[in-house]
This record gives sequence, structure tokens and C-alpha cells, in this order.
Amino acid sequence: MVDFRIDRRAVLGLGAAAALAPCTGQAQPRPPERPRGQVIVGLSQEPTVFNPLMPGIEVDQGVWWNLFSPLWYTDPEGNLVPDLAREVPTLDNGGISTDGLTWTVKLRQGATWHDGTPFTAEDVKFTLELINNPSFRARSRIGHQLVRDIRVTAPDEITWRMEAAYAPYLSILSLTFMVPRHLLSGVDPNTATFNSAPVGTGPFRWGARQPGDNITLTASPAYHGNGPFLERVVFKYIPDLTVLYTQFRTGQVDHTSIQGISPPFVREARTLRGRVIHVNPSASIEHIAPNLEFGPLADKAVRQALYMAVNKRALIDAIYYGLPAPTESFLPRQSWAFNADLPAHKHDPAAANALLDQAGWRRGAGGVREKNGVKLEFTNSTTTGNPVREQAQQLLMQDWRGIGATMRVQNMPAAVIWGEFWQQSRFQSVMVGVNFTLGADPDVTPRFHSSAIGAKGGRGQNNYQFVNAEVDGLLVQGATQFNQAQRRATYQRIQALVREELAILPLFQSAAVEGVKEGLNGYRPNQNTSSNCWNIREWFWTA
Amino acid sequence: MSLALSAPAFRRFRRHRLAAFGAATIVLLTLGCFLGPFLLPFDDTTIDVMNRFAPPLSGAHVLGTDELGRDMLARLMMGGRVSLIVGFTAMAIGMALGILVGAVAGFHGGWLGAALMRFVDAVLCFPTIFLLLALAALVSPGLLSIIILIAATSWMDVARIVEGQVKSLRERDFAVAAQVLGASDARIIVHELVPNAVAPIVVAATLNVARAILLESYVSFLGYGIQPPVPSWGNMLNNAQIYLTSAPWLAILPGLAITLAVTSFNFLGDGLRDALDPRMRAR
Amino acid sequence: MSGFLARRLGQSLVLLVLVSMVGFAILHLAPGGPMSQFASGSDMTQEDLDRIAEQLGLNRPLPVQYAEWFWRMLQGDWGRSYRDGEAVLNVIGSHLGATLQLMLTATLLAIIIGVVIGTLGAIRRHSIFDTLATVGAMIALSIPTFWFGLVAIYVFSVWLDWLPSGNRFTPGDGSPLDLLRHLILPAMVLALVETAIWSRFMRSSMLDVVNQDYIRTARAKGVPEARILLRHAFRNAALPMITVLGLQLPTLLGGALVTETVFTWPGMGRLFLDSISYRDYPVVMGILMFSATLVLLGSLLADLLHAVADPRIRLG
Repeated sequence: MVDFRIDRRAVLGLGAAAALAPCTGQAQPRPPERPRGQVIVGLSQEPTVFNPLMPGIEVDQGVWWNLFSPLWYTDPEGNLVPDLAREVPTLDNGGISTDGLTWTVKLRQGATWHDGTPFTAEDVKFTLELINNPSFRARSRIGHQLVRDIRVTAPDEITWRMEAAYAPYLSILSLTFMVPRHLLSGVDPNTATFNSAPVGTGPFRWGARQPGDNITLTASPAYHGNGPFLERVVFKYIPDLTVLYTQFRTGQVDHTSIQGISPPFVREARTLRGRVIHVNPSASIEHIAPNLEFGPLADKAVRQALYMAVNKRALIDAIYYGLPAPTESFLPRQSWAFNADLPAHKHDPAAANALLDQAGWRRGAGGVREKNGVKLEFTNSTTTGNPVREQAQQLLMQDWRGIGATMRVQNMPAAVIWGEFWQQSRFQSVMVGVNFTLGADPDVTPRFHSSAIGAKGGRGQNNYQFVNAEVDGLLVQGATQFNQAQRRATYQRIQALVREELAILPLFQSAAVEGVKEGLNGYRPNQNTSSNCWNIREWFWTA
Repeated sequence: MSLALSAPAFRRFRRHRLAAFGAATIVLLTLGCFLGPFLLPFDDTTIDVMNRFAPPLSGAHVLGTDELGRDMLARLMMGGRVSLIVGFTAMAIGMALGILVGAVAGFHGGWLGAALMRFVDAVLCFPTIFLLLALAALVSPGLLSIIILIAATSWMDVARIVEGQVKSLRERDFAVAAQVLGASDARIIVHELVPNAVAPIVVAATLNVARAILLESYVSFLGYGIQPPVPSWGNMLNNAQIYLTSAPWLAILPGLAITLAVTSFNFLGDGLRDALDPRMRAR
Repeated sequence: MSGFLARRLGQSLVLLVLVSMVGFAILHLAPGGPMSQFASGSDMTQEDLDRIAEQLGLNRPLPVQYAEWFWRMLQGDWGRSYRDGEAVLNVIGSHLGATLQLMLTATLLAIIIGVVIGTLGAIRRHSIFDTLATVGAMIALSIPTFWFGLVAIYVFSVWLDWLPSGNRFTPGDGSPLDLLRHLILPAMVLALVETAIWSRFMRSSMLDVVNQDYIRTARAKGVPEARILLRHAFRNAALPMITVLGLQLPTLLGGALVTETVFTWPGMGRLFLDSISYRDYPVVMGILMFSATLVLLGSLLADLLHAVADPRIRLG
């Protein structure tokens, strides 16, 4: 090992081990009394947004978790756990009125901002109002736009009224970080110095940023929760997945996060000494997104035949090394609303051929089917520079050629494909992984409601252009139910309908493979937080 | 060392041999890539996932199979077609354009020369990637558009070198003499100035083939390249990066193919340089 | 001379404006936009995307956006990055140092080694040294950089464990020795191709010169060979090198892109690629103007030096 830092820790470790040796034996490692050591987290995208209310991507959120706190968060098991709030409001504890319209939140006392200012209900009020401030570039206003009449009833209590009952708002608030009123009021929130030198209530405080390279956070001694046990966290930007893996392998990175370890490296990674590899089911569902308004793909029989022709097992085993689990739903298996009784996919090219014959798709020149002059031909697009997805595309291409369907690859850079091409449904089909949940909430109104089609002036992300009256009704119903058992029934029915219509061709629930250096404790993957850096406050090195 | 200088016959032989080696390799590669696929029992796009990552010389596949079980030899040949076509054509178009602009600007001077060279400057102001990206936005991906993209980013340096040479040569005795004798502009450009500027042009051309073949892989990398399943050496090499330790031949083979093709072309260019340089021909 | 300078400077300014117009138009007309990166995420809807595009002023007519950008730039305000909200000049400044450090090291190495190899090769033409140098240069030029970089990492970092596999320094360290250890591999990879380029140009230029009449005359007059080479041949052979140097100046920014990616070097090349990928228009425009200025200066400098070195060229 050439790394100076590791040597030093090894020396420290020796001393500590000698002191503990007589009594501990094989006991669980315990966190140190005071913050010690540092962790270098390798990310393949650069975190650049530090105002947690502004548009950011997953890597940004990974940093936010360490600088800021939400009122409550969702733990790996899907439970809401209070953070800046004293308790999570429910119908039972009276925090939410029976009509779902009046919310009251009791706040933790004694929490402070990193600059020493006490955190109060005024900060919560300010945060919610800032999100709805028309001149502020807020990331998302889903749910927040329903909030009215915010009142601070005590320094540690706040109440508001909802314009309409909206159950997913609990989950949305679990991902909404509180920002300090004393630093953001009276200045332009879009360009405030706060945005590049953030001050939060989280376990770590802002250290320094070297653009294009790294971000350093240091332990906040005044943190109100458990931890932190590390002196420093460094988020290191390593743009290439191969290089990221290599640096993890050579020990320059302690943890590979988000994009983690690409499937082809996993087998080798597992043999590395001193490295622990975690395969975590993620909330992202990999699927083929058909444009339901495009020629052949508008025909349900075609979608069914295409789905039957997919050799899912070969795809998962060969291309993804058996890591992800096949699925029929858009929800992750771990969700409380997951429907486990959906009809299972069967690889059956003969049945697919028969189905197409029956539906009037006849084989024409070159073996390609056609019906009423429409050829069974379409393009499939995904982000370029993703060799694993490109392999999957080529496998599907071969599967579908066997039933007389021609698929052509038309891949594009991220900035192009996710632009109007995706948002305005200009694609024919796309291969994509989407996290359909809002936090841990199964509400998919933006994805499947007929009023959410961007190409038709809608306001959501129903880029498939899926229109189904029953689903529309169920979505409205589910968003206003607060009883989990009733909601579960609603969303299970929605899953059944989406599976029946094949609004998406589900392939599998993605597996995120992340690496952690041996001796680093406390890593706890959480698919409800969009970044496994959510609890670095609990991480520590074995002494 | 002095042996080489004192033995002209040996020197000529060696010079000839390097150029001949280059030419022969290019001919062989070209023939192999364009005729080879007809002789192979394997197709370059047929997937066989049960039989992937077969190492070279281990079975029916002479050079092994790739990450989807496709025959590497077949893919190398088909990929070679694409890469060679891109490399040679883009170079030729770029050179023609560069020589034309450079010769006219250098010979004419004046406002036309200045305008042309400032145009060259303007295009050079755009970093290569920016030009590639900008132009790619205006055409749909495909073989022809990639050739045009690469050619459009590789003519400016040639234009500059030619302009510099021509301008400097124009002042020299033989051009002045020709002018005094009443030769026309075009005649002077074609017969006196261009041959004299040939040496640096050929050197630049050899570098530009290398560049064109390499740029093809970067274009693929940026997302405007040859789309799968069609192989090119560039996209094969790009995709093989992640298998550098587990299946090194996937990266080594196209890497070698690129290196071999480009090196050969450089040797050939070097030989051509000797043959075309009038001062050397005179000896 | 001063008239020439004034005219060239004037031309350069006009060019800069043209470059900015063309660049601005192409950039904004290219498919995709800065909102794309958020569209595949889960918690932003079409409504949010449209609202933010509106707030950023992306929905206004292009000429209006250009005019505003141009007017602000004249006042020294180059805008703010869409990604991190920093002023564009600060963003460029924070990446420039890393690139200069890498490029200057590599270029200096390459010029010294390349000129020596090229000169020796030309003098001892077709010797074993020349052949080896030629073959070596050709191979160096033919190896794809990212491939060579990855192989270098596997050999020197993974197998031998001699050098770090990337980054500019170890977080928490940053001593001169630490910096140097991180610099070796990327500088070596970058210098490989540059050395090949310089040695090739130097060799061919030197060959052109040693066959000129005045060298032959000098030789016939009995001037010592070493003196001929140093006093006459080398000086004249170095002349076209000045043009090469001028041409190399702009690659200072973009040329290290691949190396910067492989070695996670936080320089201008990476910044440019990232800004293009995210369609961070203000930063892309800033880098474009910055590099365009550099190119124009380089070109002007090359012309001036060329004229100083070769009295037969008149600047008029």
C-alpha cells in the first residue's frame, strides 16, 4: 500500500487493537468516541448543486443528505423516521386531520444550523414558501403547491392546510431538506452565496469544493442525531466507470456510489481482498418504453408478442451476470404496494408468432411482418456510452428478428435523448431504467395518468402516452387515501392494468452494485433515498 | 551508424523495404477486410451468448469471440471496412480542401489570401469536439456523415502548412524566375509551388489518417458514431475497455488493427515523400 | 509593422464576434438542452421542467438571448453556469491551473525529446537509431490515447503499484512529492503522442534544410559539419516548428481531454466535455471565447515570429 493515509490509520489501529485485545475478541466493532478518519466516496457524476431545493440529480442528493436534514426520512425498511420533526404526523396521532387537509408537525428542540443559529418552525415555513416562490428555481412543486395558510403556532410547532388531500406528501417531505431562513431571506435565492457555501442542520458541514474534482465535508460537532464518526467525507468525481472501478481496486476510493460497479466488473471485484461488494436491489425498473402512439407499437398484440419473444433469462444472466431480478411491475419488490400476483413472463417465440399471425401481421419481404401497409419496424434508443445496455439491445434485436419484427438501434447522448425526444414522445421505443416511486410512495400519477402526457400539453412524464380511464380513476383515488391497506389494493389494481396493457415492457428491477472498503462500518443501502450516502453519519472505520 | 551513411544501396533498400512493408500491409488489410468475410463460416452480427468470451485459438473461432459470442475475426474484418473507409476518405477530402485553400491563399496573398486564412483561423477557433458536436447536430448519424464530420475538422492545419510553404517558396528564386518568364498563375501553382510544398503535405497527410481513424472512435464515444450492431475498430475498442483485464483480446485486437493500419500508412507516406520530393528525385 | 499589427488585431476582433455568433447559434440549435439531465429523474415533472426553462430565459428568441449575452460579456459578465451557479470566469479559472500544469509539463518534455530525436534522426538518416525512432514515433502516433492510458494504469498502478491510478493529489495530502507522483503517468501518456509529432516535424524540416543549396555550399567551402548543423541547418529547420507551436497552442485546452478523462484530471478538457454534455451554455460559450482568443493570439504570434526569423517574408 502506497497511500500515506492508510499507513497512518494502520498504525493508529495497531495501538487501539492492542488496548482492546484482552476483552473484545470477535465483538461487533464500535464507533469511536470522537470523529476519526475520512472516507472518499467515488461518484461517476459531479455533484454541482448544493441548494437542496434546486434542480439536482442523485449525486447532488447524496451530498444533501450529509449537509441537511428533512423533517423525517424513510429508512431501508420503508418506515418513516422522525429527524427534524419530533414525530411523523399520522391520522392516529392527530398530526393529519381525518379529512387529510390539516397537517400539524411538532419539531425537535435543540437542533442548530452549522453557523450556530437555532433551527425553528420559521425555517420550515420559509422552506415551504420558498419552494412556491414564483421567482425561485425550485426543483419540484409536486405536493408543495397544495400547501396553504402555513402558521407557526410555537417555535417548535407548525401547521398548514392542504388544498386537497394528498397522501404522497408524507413521502415527498421525507426528501425535502430544510434550508435556513436567516441566510436566504432578503437575497435572490437563485444566486445566494448559500448556494455555493451551504449551511444546514446535517451531520457534516461544508468544507471546500474543487470544481471538477472533489467536495470535502467535515464533521459537525453540534449534530442533533447519532454520529458523525468520521472527521471528513470527500466526494470525488471520477467520470469514467472503468476508471472509477480501477481506483476502487487500487484503494484510492473507499466507496463507489450510485453508478457503482458496472456488471462486467462484479465477478472480479468479488475476488478483491480488502473490498466488500454489495448487490442492492434498487428502485429503478429497467424496461422497454414503447411509444403507444407509434405505428406498430400502438397494437397491444404486437407488444404482447414482443414481450413473449424476449429471452429475459438469457438477457439477465448473460448481459447482467444474473444480478438483477426479473419483474412484471413498475414498483420495486420491496414496496409495500408491490403486487406479487402479476402474470409471469414466459419466453415463448412460437406463441408470439402465432399471436401476430392471428392479429393479422403477415410476413412480407425479408421476413418482416406487416399489416395494412404498416411494417413491424421500430427504432430503439438509449443513452450512448453505456456498453451494457447496447449489448442488451443487440440481444433483443436478435430475439425480435425471430418473430418478424425489425428493431434498429438509434442511440443518443444523454442531453439529446432526455430532451424533447423523450419529453415530447418523439421516440419509437426507448430502453431505460426509471424509479417510478416518489420517495417510498407508489403514486405514479405523473407517469401513467392521461393528463400527464407532455406531447399533449400535459404536465407529467407520461411519455409512453398511456391512456386508460380506469387507471386514471384509480390514481386519483389512491392519492387521497390515507389508509395503507386501502391504498395497497388501489395500486395493486393499477399494476395489474399496466401489466395487462403492457404500457411498459418490464425487464427487471435493477441491482446497484456498490463497493465498500473492508473495515468501513455502517454502510446501509436504502432504496428509498436515491443515494446510499444517506447515512454516512453512521459510518466509521474499525479501530 | 556510419555504415548506413556510407552504403547508399543498403539505404535505398531499407527505405524501399519500409515503404513496401507499409504498402503491402495496407493492401493485405484492405483485401482481408473486403474479401475475408466471404470466406468465413461466421457472420459478424450473429449472437451466441452461450459461447461468449472464448479466447483466441481455443475452438472454432480463430480469434475468439466477443462479449456477445460473435466471431472476432469476422467483426475485425467488417469493422476494418468501416474504419478504413472512414480513415481514407475523410483524409482525402480533408487534404483536398486544405491544399486548395492553402495554395490559393498562399499564392494570391492580398485580401483573398487574408480572408481565406482568417476563415481557417475562425474554424480553428472551435475545439475539435465542439466542431464535431456542432456539425453532428445538423446531420443524421451514419457512415457518410461521420466521414464528412471528420474531414471538416482536419483540413485547416494542412491549409496553414501549405499556405506557409507556398508563401515562403513564392519569394524564392525559381518561382520568381517562372513569373519573369511569363508563366500563368495556375501553371506556377501546379508545376512549381505545389510540388515544392509536397513534403510537408505528405507528412501532414500521414498524421491525418491516424487522426481520422482515431477520431472515428471518439465520434462513436460522443454518441454520433456507427450504431450497433455494425462494428468499427473504433467502437470495438471503445466497448472493450471494460474487459481489459477479463478478456484482454477484445481490446488488444482492434487496438493492434488500428495501430497496424495507421503505422503502415505512415511508412507508405514516408516512402512517398522521398519519391515525390523534387530535390531528392534529382539526386 | 505596426500597421500590420493593428490590422491583424482588428481582423481578430471581427473574427471573435463571428465565432461567438456561429458558436451561439449552433449550440442552441443542437438537439437537447440543459433540462434534459433532470428529465429521467423521478421527482420533476414536465411542468417543473418548463417552468425552470422559462426562469432561465431559454424560451426567448435566440437573437434576443444572444444580444443579451453579448452585451453582458462586453461588460465583463460572462454569465453563470447552469450546473453550479458559479460565474463562468471563476469556473474557467478553477480548471485552468490543472490543465496548464499537465500540458506544460508534457509539452516541454515532448519538445525537448522530440527535437533531439528528430534532429539526430535527420542527421543520421536511415541509421538504426533513425529507423527505430521512426518506427517508434509511428507506433506512438497510432495507439489510441485512452487505450494507452488504461494500459499504463494497469501496469504501473494495478500490477506494480508504483504510482496512483489518477487524480491530481491525495485528498488530505497535496505535498510536492504527492503532486509529482500523480503527475508522472498522465504527463507521460500525453507526452508520448506529442513527442512523436514534434520528432516527425523536426526530422522532415531538418531534412528539407540539409539538402538546401546554402548548406551544400557551406559544406563545399569546408565549414565544420557541427557548425553547419547548429548555425545554419538547425536555425532554418526550426522555422516551420514555430508554425507548429502556434498550431499547438489551442490544443492546450482540448488536447488533454482524453488523458484528463482517463486520469480524472480536473482540467479544461473535462470541463468542456461535461459542459457540452449538460448543455451548460454559458460555460461552453465562455470556453469557446477563451480558446478562440488563444488561437488567434497563437496564429498572430506564429506569423510575427516567422517574419522575425525569415527576413524574406515581409509583413505588409
